[in-house]
Amino acid sequence: MSATREDRRVGLTLGALSSLVLLLIAGMIFFVLEKAWPSFSHNGLSWFGAKGEVDAQLTEIFNSPADPNNYVYTIGAWPLIYATALVTFLSVALATVFSVLSAIFIVEFAPDRLRRVLEPVVRLLAAVPSVIYGLIGILVIVPFVADHFVTEGARESVRFVIQLDGTSLAVATAILTVMITPIMIAIIVDALRTVPQGWTQGAVALGVNRWRAMRTIAVRTARPAIVAAAVLASARALGEAIMLSMVSGSVGFAPNPLDGYIFLLEPARPLAATIVDNAEGLSVVPFGQTLYAFAAVLLVSTAMLSLGGWYARRALRKYTVTR
Amino acid sequence: MAELTPPPVRRIALDADPTVIPPEEAINGNGHASAVRRPEAPRPGTVLERMRVEELSVAYGSKLAVNRVSIEVNRGEVLALIGPSGCGKTTLLRSLNRLVDGTASAARSGRILLDGNDIDFIDVTQLRRQVGMVFQQPNPFPMSIFDNIAYGLRERGSRKPSKRALEPAVHSALHRAGLLEEVKDDLQHPALRLSGGQQQRLCIARSLAVQPEVLLLDEPCSALDPISTGIIEELIAKLRTEIAIVIVTHNLQQAQRVADRVAFMYLGDLVEYGAAEQVFEAPQAMRTRDYVTGAFG
Repeated sequence: MSATREDRRVGLTLGALSSLVLLLIAGMIFFVLEKAWPSFSHNGLSWFGAKGEVDAQLTEIFNSPADPNNYVYTIGAWPLIYATALVTFLSVALATVFSVLSAIFIVEFAPDRLRRVLEPVVRLLAAVPSVIYGLIGILVIVPFVADHFVTEGARESVRFVIQLDGTSLAVATAILTVMITPIMIAIIVDALRTVPQGWTQGAVALGVNRWRAMRTIAVRTARPAIVAAAVLASARALGEAIMLSMVSGSVGFAPNPLDGYIFLLEPARPLAATIVDNAEGLSVVPFGQTLYAFAAVLLVSTAMLSLGGWYARRALRKYTVTR
Repeated sequence: MAELTPPPVRRIALDADPTVIPPEEAINGNGHASAVRRPEAPRPGTVLERMRVEELSVAYGSKLAVNRVSIEVNRGEVLALIGPSGCGKTTLLRSLNRLVDGTASAARSGRILLDGNDIDFIDVTQLRRQVGMVFQQPNPFPMSIFDNIAYGLRERGSRKPSKRALEPAVHSALHRAGLLEEVKDDLQHPALRLSGGQQQRLCIARSLAVQPEVLLLDEPCSALDPISTGIIEELIAKLRTEIAIVIVTHNLQQAQRVADRVAFMYLGDLVEYGAAEQVFEAPQAMRTRDYVTGAFG
């Protein structure tokens, strides 16, 4: 009797706690959108477009008059959105390839002794604070790229548009890839392990070698988990601020693919890094509201990403669900 | 009408008559096993040696699982490996397509010949195409029925054949496994949503699609209900004229129903090996006699 009453009490308490979390998230989204609203409503759809230099616009907003009626809001955030999408997409794409291959190695091919070292190290790597990556990036990799990849010719060719100093799309993407790959490996390893042995055995018994059995059966079965890992990694990439603000170049610039390989050496500052870089200006009301608008875009993108991932996983499960 | 309603058996989606034994027959006949038709003995001349096992021993670490076993596998016959759990019958079966080689601790000695060639000198991919295998637990891939059957054909070469080119082969494999009628309307149906018996026949069809010469069945019915088991046993009887079949079972009645030859193994030793009637009705070895009469096992 009392046992069931206790269960009910615990159930209610835990229910209340989780409802609190839901309430918090809803409240946060509402709060951010409400704060961001003036920036969006002044610009309309052109908020998302490209109009002039975004950094100059940010300065204008920062310097707007104290009179609320004369606040400046004009901004075209395209270079920042573009940089966010580009860095996130490139690093998640690279990390997906690396992590699937590494996970196959760990699960199927690594000798036992190597596996016993590799797995904990991978899980440890997933927990390294991003600021450390940023520090190594700015102290080691950025100068290295500036010395070895940014040629005089490359510097000259874009001299009137942008300054190439090593902080670049390539470095940002590379470090972000290193940052998000471990957690993806960990998730995909777990998923590959749950693929029933009978399936891969069945393939092997049909004369397929281990590598092809892994690729055509195990990885195929693990696709929902791969999508889940990619979504989680994208969320981390979208939200990564400190490291990107350190290595991506503090310039709101949209790298131009038409520049050839120089494209990769051009700076690109994503939204989250922009918020960090400008945090000291928050006391200026319209400037703060503009930063909230950046935050709102990030928040909505992550939400949509989760939703998209959920649909993709459901579609991919069509053949694995038995009933 | 109402009194003739069959017992509540699990229905599988097929239009054919279910293999339910009418109660009168079961009572009149002497026991359950005799109610099932035994396949006719193979006609002389149709039996052809396919595989020969010579002095095969397999050890896992220091534990000997198969001890100097010699047998032949013939087309036109069903060879049943019987014996209590842990007697090495599955290990013997998995040696025939070198699946034991995947177990790191396993060591194999002796020779196994496929059509006169030592299987250790045949490319393992080629070997496993010629010696197909069906597992205890039905293991269809998480794909459509069509893709399951086509899997082995698609993975055969570097160039993947088109869906249309594969269709005849897929249909013929499903037909040989007696599954075509039940699934032909929707080959895109997820294979894992078939019933257990259908899944196992799908696995047989998947093996047949690559045109094997020998088919290994590792307790193919142990996870299935009696009706599905009956269907699969009929299928085995039909297939044995085309390919050599080796079936591992620890269901003695099943061995009696389907096998032409029986090998009784006990703790790694081959105790008795011969025609099914002889092993079951006039066993030579004491241990065989005790096992087939149910004294142990």
